[in-house]
Amino acid sequence: MIRYGWLGLIFIATLILPLVIGEYWIHVAVEILIMGLFAVSFNMIFGYMGQLSFGHAAYFGAGAYATGLLMVKTSVPLPICLAISMITAGVLALVIGYFCVRLTGIYFAILTMAFGQMLYYIIFQWYSFTGGDDGLQGIVPPDWIIQVTAYYYFTLFIVTGALIVMWVISESPFGYTMRAIRDNADRTRFIGINVRKYMLINFVVAGMFAGLAGGLLGPFNRSIAPDLCNWHQSGVPVFMTVIGGPLGFLGPVIGSVIYTFLFAFVTGFTEYWPLTIGLVIIFVVLYMPGGVLGLVKTKFKTIGAEESMDAEA
Amino acid sequence: MDASLIFAQSLSGLSRGMMLFLIASGLSLIFGVMNILNFAHATFWLIGAYCCYTFWFLMQDYNFALWISIPLAALTLAALGWVIEVVLIRRVYNRDLPEQLLLTYAMVLVLGDLIKIVWGVDDKLIARPPLVADPVFIFGMPFDSYFLFVISVGLAVAIGLWWFLKKTRYGHIIRAAVFSREMVSALGIPIPRIYTGVFALGIFIAGLAGAVQAPVGSITLGMDMAVVIQAFCVVVIGGFGSLLGTFVAAIIVGEVYAFSILFWPQGALVLIFVVTAFILIIRPWGLFGTPTRA
Repeated sequence: MIRYGWLGLIFIATLILPLVIGEYWIHVAVEILIMGLFAVSFNMIFGYMGQLSFGHAAYFGAGAYATGLLMVKTSVPLPICLAISMITAGVLALVIGYFCVRLTGIYFAILTMAFGQMLYYIIFQWYSFTGGDDGLQGIVPPDWIIQVTAYYYFTLFIVTGALIVMWVISESPFGYTMRAIRDNADRTRFIGINVRKYMLINFVVAGMFAGLAGGLLGPFNRSIAPDLCNWHQSGVPVFMTVIGGPLGFLGPVIGSVIYTFLFAFVTGFTEYWPLTIGLVIIFVVLYMPGGVLGLVKTKFKTIGAEESMDAEA
Repeated sequence: MDASLIFAQSLSGLSRGMMLFLIASGLSLIFGVMNILNFAHATFWLIGAYCCYTFWFLMQDYNFALWISIPLAALTLAALGWVIEVVLIRRVYNRDLPEQLLLTYAMVLVLGDLIKIVWGVDDKLIARPPLVADPVFIFGMPFDSYFLFVISVGLAVAIGLWWFLKKTRYGHIIRAAVFSREMVSALGIPIPRIYTGVFALGIFIAGLAGAVQAPVGSITLGMDMAVVIQAFCVVVIGGFGSLLGTFVAAIIVGEVYAFSILFWPQGALVLIFVVTAFILIIRPWGLFGTPTRA
């Protein structure tokens, strides 16, 4: 129960946060939430299914473009746009995932990346519909959340809801089936589970939530660009997950806090952000396998000790 | 469309293919032997181009500057590859795939910024020596004479690598290490040193490719980002670890690009990923690879 107490405290802290920090840091906080949702959705494939998707930005970008295009070209209300973002990204993930779940390991990573790059170049070239490399400008959120603090609460509400849904999924029999597939796909198949079907469902769910995160980004930044789908964008949730730790549900969120905060902090006084984050990643890979959450768990066994660390081996 | 245009276009596709082969062969070699997918491969390629520029810049008064700068740049990169292998790559031999990928991805970011620090943000341009300054006419069609040099370097590297791997003692050791590391090391051959050598060789070829690329156009920051993905595609289409496969796939990708730019310019860049995805779906081990690796 201590864990839930901690979560409650964190939630209350996020509620009063905008009252104590300046507007710039509220912007950072919104970004942490959006990228955290993106990273957690990525981790449904990486941490729970054991496959590295290197094209996860495709669903993020598809969601961003669905909401962005709807808001620029029509007057559909934002919540419906976000729902359409999820559906668009989910359908895209269904088509791409149908092929990707046949492969594992390096082949899975490269095939997801190839599909991601396909989408990137389509968006990049299709000027008449997507605005090409100019992107889309003037995605203004509706009046009731046009203030950044209001947008923060709106994002907090949606991201919290999405995280709860994903947590319920990951703790359900379905979630444990995913862990079984991750640890030994052959044995899981032997007990009569259609591994590909389960992987595909998981892939689609992960894609939908990535699409939701993407949808939230457009109205926040007031604009979107095709780079949202490019392969370096796919690297961001990977970084966050590895920094935070892939084996806990909230690991990617911790990674998002560290990554996004570091970004806001470092870019304040140097343009060499890639150098900084690159060195951080090298340090984490070499000396901190399991990420921050892994470190915390080995140091303080009491917190969340019931979650196994066995997949680390 | 007449035959000479088709010929010129296929020649330009061939030179593009040879360029891709030069980048992808080192990538394929490193993956085939060490099982490490080097995200930073094209970043080394770009460093090779910048090094070539620097050597050329120092000697630009002489006509032969470029011809000396290219091998010098390649050797510099081999040394850099050696150091990086010993300092970083060696530590992750026994790690999982994602951690190895992340390490090389982090190298892309770090090296990319180091390039910016060392060479600045301005584009670099190498003035070509007189030998390759003017186009040659083949069947009445103008063709960049430098591309003939690119094609011959590509062919030379292909033949050289093939000879090295199939005919020399070190080549045999490397191929044996692919099948059984334990056996090779039981015979008293130090595996880490073999790996370091292979990595340095791969980066040497990447540096050579970059140096050869340098005089084609201007050298720009971030050029590596698109190239590395195309090199991945070439390796995937050809089959991981297959030199012949990489060679054939590079030519296919180069020609597909050269002709799609003629008929459907918007789709030229998408097409390579369509081909890659198609190959991965029907034949994940590639055209010339072996299914055991899949």
